[in-house]
Amino acid sequence: MSNSRRGFFRELASAVASAKEAVEPEPPPPDLTDAEIERYSRQLVLPEWGAAAQLAAMEASVLVIGAGALGAPVALYLAGAGVGRIGILDDDAVELSNLQRQLLHFTPDVGAPKAESAAAKLRYLNPDIVVEPYQARADAANAPALVEGQDLVVDCSDSFATRYAVNAACCAARVPLVEAGVLGMAGLVMSIKPGRTACYRCAFPVEPQDAPRCSDAGVLGPAAGVIGSLQALEALKLLTGVAPPVTDGFLQVDLATSDFVRVHASRRADCPDCG
Amino acid sequence: MVARTLDISGLTCPMTWVRTKLELERMAAGEALEVRCSPGEALENVPRSAREAGHGVTVDGTTIRIVRTRRPVASSDVAAGRGAA
Repeated sequence: MSNSRRGFFRELASAVASAKEAVEPEPPPPDLTDAEIERYSRQLVLPEWGAAAQLAAMEASVLVIGAGALGAPVALYLAGAGVGRIGILDDDAVELSNLQRQLLHFTPDVGAPKAESAAAKLRYLNPDIVVEPYQARADAANAPALVEGQDLVVDCSDSFATRYAVNAACCAARVPLVEAGVLGMAGLVMSIKPGRTACYRCAFPVEPQDAPRCSDAGVLGPAAGVIGSLQALEALKLLTGVAPPVTDGFLQVDLATSDFVRVHASRRADCPDCG
Repeated sequence: MVARTLDISGLTCPMTWVRTKLELERMAAGEALEVRCSPGEALENVPRSAREAGHGVTVDGTTIRIVRTRRPVASSDVAAGRGAA
């Protein structure tokens, strides 16, 4: 039994759908409207994309954890691409020091809740989608309820504790996940199909124990933009299947040297999250 | 079999190919689509895009007749050297 309202309705809808399927042939896919064809024309024209991919994106529900430097490009690109329902979760307020890299927030937003600030811009970008702001912080206690019923989770948080909690919840609920991190001029991106490909804890079994230094708080805006954009691309790949995502390992990106390196990781039989 | 028809006269690139491509996606392999277009850019680009995707194409005046292939070619196939000749 589902423990979330959306999960309950999703199960109800799928039960009704499977009951109907037994007696009725499957209805033809809905047509895109003229406005949708125009709005999404630059992706519809791609050989890999097409109406099926567009409809898959429009029917998807995605949770973006964090409305900061990574969450901004992720949420903007997903909203732009037409992802039907975007939840954006952040418990912080916008600070002046955020604006150098967090593209969803502007100077008049300083002091406003980040989730609300982000949602307002996303609705402005694409009024055809549903945007749900959540003023909360993901942790081990609430992560299972947050990821329940989602088609995909994109983790744009800035702490290892959150990443491990989100990874564990997505593995338990079998919800695909895109993980990422960025620091200075480098970062990494990893797609996870729980139970099928290596999870975040398979790749990083132990949380780094080094105490963060003040200098670790530095990040160049465009570096976060590149990593967040890669994360958004992974999300669209996972939602639509138009290209293979970075699974069973991660993409390590050093933007100081311009090196993109694919690092392999395997599933661990003894992984406490997905094993 | 009566071919499907699509009028893209009045549209400009890339909407000419977007509309044609979406119509082709709705068709079965072997089905034909007659596309009416204006002289000029569309008459050059739409047949080229359709051929690159692997469909059968003939042009008669400003009517482009496209027969849908079984599996359209993706640009990633072309990049990997697996594109249609």
